[in-house]
Amino acid sequence: MTRRPGFLVYGLLFAFALGSMFPLYWSFLVGSHQADVMTKSLPPLLPGGYFFENASRVFGAVAFWKALVNSLIVSTVVASSVVFFSTLAGFAFAKLRFRGRDPLMVFVVATLAVPTQLGVIPLFIVMAKLGWTGTLWAVIVPGLVTAFGVFFMRQYLLDALPEELIEAARVDGCSMIRTFWHVAVPAARPAAAILGLFTFMATWTDFFWPLIVLPASNPTVQIALQQLQSGYYVDYSLVLAGAVLSTIPLLVLFVLAGRHLVSGIMAGAVKG
Amino acid sequence: MASPTSLSRESQGGPALAGLPGAPLPPRSPRRVAFSQTVSHWDFKVSPYLYISPFFLLFTVFGLFPLLYTAYVSVHEWGLLGGQGEFIGLDNFRRVLEDRFFWNSLRNTFSIFLLSSGPQILIALGLAALLDSQLRGKTFWRMSILVPYVVAPVAVALIFGNLFGDRFGLINQGLEAIGLDAIRWHVDTLPSHLAIATMVNWRWTGYNALIFLAAMQAIPRDMYEAAAIDGANKIRQFLSITVPMLRPTIIFVVITSTIGGLQIFAEPRLFDSAGLGGSDRQFQTITMYLWELGWRVRDLGMAAAVAWILFLVIVLIALLNLLLTRRIATAGGRR
Amino acid sequence: MQHPFRKRSKVALGALTAIGLSLTAACGGGTEASSGDNGKITLSIATFNEFGYEELIKEYEQLNPNIDVEHKKAGTANEHQDNLYTKLAAGSGLSDIEAVEVDWLSALVEQSDAFVDLSDPALEGRWLDWKTEAATTPDGKLIGYGTDIGPEGICYRADLFEKAGLPTDRDKVAAMFGTWDDYFAAGRDFVQKMPETAWYDASGATAQAMVNQVEFAYEDAENNVIAGENPEVKEIFETVTSLSEEGLSTKLTQWSEDWAAAFQNDGFATMACPGWMLGVIEGNAAGVKGWDIANVFPGGGGNWGGSYLTVPSQSEHPEEAKALAAWLTAPEQQIKAFQSKGTFPSQNEALADPVLLETTNKFFNNAPTGEILADRAEAVAFIPHKGPRYADINIAFQQAIQRVDEGKESADEAWSSFLSDVDRLG
Repeated sequence: MTRRPGFLVYGLLFAFALGSMFPLYWSFLVGSHQADVMTKSLPPLLPGGYFFENASRVFGAVAFWKALVNSLIVSTVVASSVVFFSTLAGFAFAKLRFRGRDPLMVFVVATLAVPTQLGVIPLFIVMAKLGWTGTLWAVIVPGLVTAFGVFFMRQYLLDALPEELIEAARVDGCSMIRTFWHVAVPAARPAAAILGLFTFMATWTDFFWPLIVLPASNPTVQIALQQLQSGYYVDYSLVLAGAVLSTIPLLVLFVLAGRHLVSGIMAGAVKG
Repeated sequence: MASPTSLSRESQGGPALAGLPGAPLPPRSPRRVAFSQTVSHWDFKVSPYLYISPFFLLFTVFGLFPLLYTAYVSVHEWGLLGGQGEFIGLDNFRRVLEDRFFWNSLRNTFSIFLLSSGPQILIALGLAALLDSQLRGKTFWRMSILVPYVVAPVAVALIFGNLFGDRFGLINQGLEAIGLDAIRWHVDTLPSHLAIATMVNWRWTGYNALIFLAAMQAIPRDMYEAAAIDGANKIRQFLSITVPMLRPTIIFVVITSTIGGLQIFAEPRLFDSAGLGGSDRQFQTITMYLWELGWRVRDLGMAAAVAWILFLVIVLIALLNLLLTRRIATAGGRR
Repeated sequence: MQHPFRKRSKVALGALTAIGLSLTAACGGGTEASSGDNGKITLSIATFNEFGYEELIKEYEQLNPNIDVEHKKAGTANEHQDNLYTKLAAGSGLSDIEAVEVDWLSALVEQSDAFVDLSDPALEGRWLDWKTEAATTPDGKLIGYGTDIGPEGICYRADLFEKAGLPTDRDKVAAMFGTWDDYFAAGRDFVQKMPETAWYDASGATAQAMVNQVEFAYEDAENNVIAGENPEVKEIFETVTSLSEEGLSTKLTQWSEDWAAAFQNDGFATMACPGWMLGVIEGNAAGVKGWDIANVFPGGGGNWGGSYLTVPSQSEHPEEAKALAAWLTAPEQQIKAFQSKGTFPSQNEALADPVLLETTNKFFNNAPTGEILADRAEAVAFIPHKGPRYADINIAFQQAIQRVDEGKESADEAWSSFLSDVDRLG
C-alpha cells in the first residue's frame, strides 16, 4: 500500500471524524451558552460567551479538582496494571504450553459473559468486608486485570509474535521472563498501547460502580458530574460545561500521548 | 478459542512438557548443567501459571464470589430488601421462562444486537483499511474516530435523546422538512431499536476500527507487495491477505461485541426517562429486565435466575459465533 | 533497544511510587462515617434532586463544631433509589441519613428493622398528621421525619387563556375549576378555539393527580392488591383515555424530551402543579411569558410527592444522625429550604409562618405562591394509602394510558393488559 490515498479516502474519513466529534462540539456549544438554549427549537450553531462562567459554576458546585486528581490516579493505575498483567497472561496463553491452557482460556472468556448488574450486591459485600468502601481501592482493585485485556493480548500475540523469535530466545538460554520482556513485550507494543488507551478511557468514563461505592467527598470525575444534575429540571449548560471539562484531560492525553501511542505503535518489532 | 492444532498438541502433551517441540535439548554433559537444567525445567513448568495467576486471583475474589452468590440466590425465594427466604429449587427459573416480558426482552436484545454488531464490525474493518494507508495527519484521523469513546455518558444520552425526539427532535424535523413522515423513535419497536443501535455503533465503531488497525499493522508489508506483483487489486488484497491474517483479531472483536451486545444496558435505559423500555417494553433488553425484577419488583431470586439464563445464552451464542467466524475466516484464507 | 527501556521503567517506577503515595493519601481521609482522633464526628447524608440543604448544612456545622456533614446528592430519584436498595440488600454502606420519597416509603416501612425509630415526644405535632402517619409502622415506630410535601394547584398560561376568550385573572380561573368535570368542560371549550394547543401537559400527569385523590387506589388497608377491581381506578382510566381522543391531552409522556419541548411550543395551556413543579415549569419554559397559578384543585385538595429523612440502623452514629435529621426538618430550616429550592414544608408551624405566606413568584406573574400552596396544603384531607406495590402498579397504570395515547392499543385492550400486568406483580 505505497500509493498515497486519494480524495475519496479523505472524504470518507472526514465524514467519520465529523460525525465522531459532533457531540463533543455540541456539548461545548450548549456549555458555552446560557441555560435556556436547550429549549430553543433551533439551537445556535456557534459557541456563546458563557463557557468560563459555566465552568466556574462547575468548580463552585462540586469538588471538581479532587475528582480530577482521583480520576487521574484511578485511570492511570488501572490502565498500567491492565496492560502489564494482560500482556503477561496473554503471552502465556498465546505462546506457552502448559496443562489446562485451552480450558483456562475458555474460562477467561466465559467470565466476560457474566452480567455485571446483579454482581453489584455481592461485590459491595466483599468491599465492605475488606473495608474498602468509600476508598479508591474499591474502584481500582477489581479492575487491575481484566478478562477482556487477557483475551485481547492473547489474540493479538497469536499472529504478531512469530514462534521463531521465541525459539531463538530459548536457544540463547533466555529465562521465561526475559523472553517475555525482550521478545513478547516489543511485539505486543502496538496492542498494549491500544489496550492502555482504551482502559484509561473506559475507567475515566465509568460511573455505575463508582457511584455506588464512592462517597461525595471522594468522587471521581463522573460522580462529580452526577452531582451537577439536580432537580426535575436539568441545567444543561452547567451539566454539559462539566462534561466538556471532564473530557479535556483526556483530550490533552490524546494530544500528548496520541502521537506516541498511535504512530509509535506502528514501529512494532515484528514487521522489520 | 485456540486453533485446532494447538488443541491436539495439548491433548497428547501428558504431564511432562519435555516431549513437545521447543523443549530444551538434552544436555551434552549432564553433570555440569544439571542445576540450571532443573531451574529451567521449573521455570518452564511454573512460569505460565505464574503469568496467568493475577487474573485468576483477582477473579476469584471479585468475580467468583458474586457468581456463586448469584447462583445461591437464584434457587431461593429472595426479596431485595427482605432477604433470603425458602429454598425453592428451580422455581425462579420456571417463573422467568413463563414471563412474557422475559421473552419480549430476549427478542429485543437480539434485534438490537443484530442491528448493531454486524454493521459495526464491517464498517470498522473498512475504516481500519482506510486508516492503514499513507495518510497525511495519521494521528489526527486515528484519534478523531476515537472521540465518541471519551464523551461522558450523560452527554451521549442527552445528545441522542435530542436527536431522536419524536415530535421536536432534529432528525424528525429534518425528515419533515424534506416532505417525509416523522418516525416515532421512542414509540415503535423497530425505530427504537434502530435508534439505540445507532447510539451503540456511534460509540464503538471507531474503537473496533483501532483494534483492527493495530492488527493490520502487524501484517508484513511484503505480502502485499508480492500480491501486487501478482496483479491482485486492493480489494482482492484486502480479502485474501488482510482478512485471513486478521483472523484472531476478528474472532476477538466478534466475541467481545457479542458479549457486550447481549448485555446492552445503559443506552436503552437512558433512552427514555422511566428506564423500563417504553410503554410496551418495546426496547426493554434482558439486562434491563433483570434490573426491573431486582430493583423495582424487588425479587432478587428471579433477577438472579435471569442473570444465569443470560449467562448461558451468551456463552451459547459466543460459541456459535466462534464456529461461524472461524469458518468464514478460514474459507477466506483458502481462496 | 535496552537503554530506553530501562530508563522508561525507572520513570514508570517513580510514577508508580508517586501514585501509590497519593493513593494512600486519597484513601486516608474521612470516608465512611467515622469519628476522628479529635472527637469530631462525620455524618453523611444522601439526598436526590434538590432538598435545598446546602446552606443549612454549613449552618449546622457552625453550630456544632464537633460535627462534619458530608452531603451526597444523586441527580435523580431513580439513581438514589437504586443506591439505597443496593446497600440495604448488601447490609452496609448507607449514609447516616437517607432521604426517601413517599412512593417507596411503604416498601421500607415493611423493613422497619433496617431503620432507627425516630419517634420523639418533643416533636409530636410538628408535621401534618397525614405526613407522619405514612411513615409510622403498625406498631407505632416512626421511620422518617417529613421534609416537604407537594400540595397541588393548577398552573396555567394566562396568555393562551386570553386568546381562547377564557378569564385570565387567577381568582376567576380558580372559580372555574371546582370539580374535574368543570375543569374538563373548560378544556373542551379551549381546544375548540385553539385546536393547535392541548389543554393539559400529559394524560399520565392528569391521571396521577386524580389517583392522588383516591384513598385506596391500588391496595386496600391490608395491602391486598385491588387495582384491577377498583371502579375508581377504572373510571380515571376511562376518563383520561377518552379525553385524549377529544384532544385535551398532548398525548406526550411526562418527563420526555418532547414533553419538555412542548413548554416552548405552546403545546398545552394548563397542568396539575404541585409546589415542586414551579421550578420545573420555570426551567423548561424559560423565556415564555404568561404562566400563572390558580388557588384551586379540581375535586378538593391533592398532594403529589414529598420526602422524608430516615436514619438506617447501619449508622454508627444514630443519635447524632437523628439530631441532625430533626434539626433539618424543623420548621425554621424547611422554610429556608423552601426559599432556596422551592420544596414546600410539611410542618404545621411553617405553613402559618409569615415568611412563607409572603413569598411571591415573579415567573408566575408575581403570584403569592406561598399563600396559595399553604391553602392547597390545608385542602388536603388525607393522603392516599400507598402499599409496597404502589409504585410498580402505578407505573403499569401510566404505561397503559401511554399505550392508548400512542395508538398501540385501544382503551379496552390497554385495560386488559394492565390487568395482566397487575396479576404479574401481585
